[in-house]
Amino acid sequence: MRVFFGMRDIDILEPRSVEEAVAALAQHGDEAKVIAGGTALVLMLKNQLVSPAYLISLGRVPGLDGVTYGAGVGLRLGALASIRQAETSAVVRQHCPTLAETFGKVANVRVRHAATVGGNVSEADYASDPPCVLVALRARAVALSPRGRREIPLTEFFRDFYETALAADELLTEIVVPEQPAGARQSYLKFVTRSSEDRPCIGACAWIDLDEAGVCRELRVTLGAVAGKPQEFAEAEALAAGQRLGPDLIGQVAQYYAEHIDPLSDARGSAWYRRRMAAVFVRRAIEQALGAGGEV
Amino acid sequence: MKKTVRLRVNGLEQEVSVATHHTLLDVLRREFKLHSVREGCGIGMCGACTVLVEGKPVSSCLLLAALAAEKDVVTVEALGRQGLHPIQQAFVDHTAFQCSFCTPGFLLTTKALLEENPAPTPEQVKAYLAGNLCRCGSYMKIMDAVLDAARRLQPANANAT
Repeated sequence: MRVFFGMRDIDILEPRSVEEAVAALAQHGDEAKVIAGGTALVLMLKNQLVSPAYLISLGRVPGLDGVTYGAGVGLRLGALASIRQAETSAVVRQHCPTLAETFGKVANVRVRHAATVGGNVSEADYASDPPCVLVALRARAVALSPRGRREIPLTEFFRDFYETALAADELLTEIVVPEQPAGARQSYLKFVTRSSEDRPCIGACAWIDLDEAGVCRELRVTLGAVAGKPQEFAEAEALAAGQRLGPDLIGQVAQYYAEHIDPLSDARGSAWYRRRMAAVFVRRAIEQALGAGGEV
Repeated sequence: MKKTVRLRVNGLEQEVSVATHHTLLDVLRREFKLHSVREGCGIGMCGACTVLVEGKPVSSCLLLAALAAEKDVVTVEALGRQGLHPIQQAFVDHTAFQCSFCTPGFLLTTKALLEENPAPTPEQVKAYLAGNLCRCGSYMKIMDAVLDAARRLQPANANAT
């Protein structure tokens, strides 16, 4: 495929620090795209879906690739940590094994080595695995601009297909996954309809906080790849609060999701099919989460 | 727009002038004449353009050449400089290819796998190599070759191969 990137000349800027990167982005804003691993952006360039005048490469920016855990803070995933780093990180595996597994389900090992956590989140691809799990975990994105630093809850970060709450001059520097309650357990099911390394037809994340008696304090269910952004329905989640999660209740929640999503059609499944599979995978995700992370 | 960058490919440094929109795949084939690096899908799915960058397998079709500057890039040409590499020998012994278009990608991905995990299980091999496609369907033989290469590369077996 010898499709090159249109007629526009692209200048590549290589800032050497976070400050320089923020300054470059402030200067060029709409004319620039930030590039890290490039696995998504180079595809968009090749297909002329974007045609920036400047690429601001973060390849020489130090200090943004840490993956650490702090008590009371939670997991901090630097924007330039590779997906593979997040997948294999001992602290991610220890504190949130579901999240580590989810990063391990992205594309193939080559893409995971090159692609970054920050790139994945800021691309806001509707058919990517980590966003819906990060939403369920109530992670926050840290953004820097000349106007300062702000944290954006991922529940508000994803706006629509490839659209985020980041302003044109804001650089995503970190994802913070807050400490999860002791009784919380999660699952993520990636349903693929083609080959194993394909993007999901449906991604279903269930997050359940149970008390000592096994009664549900809080249920969160997020569905990825069915619409422009991860889908979550508080009305359905509320059905589970204060209840034991038996087959009837789980079925009710699953049915609610199937009825209330506005599913898209793409090569991985029609809207009709996605609606039916949503009911199946919401149920299975809840069941799997109940079976994970301690006795029920 | 052109940019002069210093690329380090198979241990040799070379200054090349690259268009900012050219991928590493383009430059390795056109400037370095390294034709083991192949374009299959052009979208990072097939693995035919796999190269090792800083020891990690990546799709050279998704990496802008200018952004590979000063990084260690390895193609399969560097593997067999002193006779076949044990991984290559295992692929030959198991006839783990038919047309061989995908073979360089499989060899490099296998090299990275065995450096990370010297004794992988078949399931781990499948997971790591899932993104390398062989349209001839030599997967069973590739699996045999990878597991055999792992045995051959074990320190205890170094003298036996």
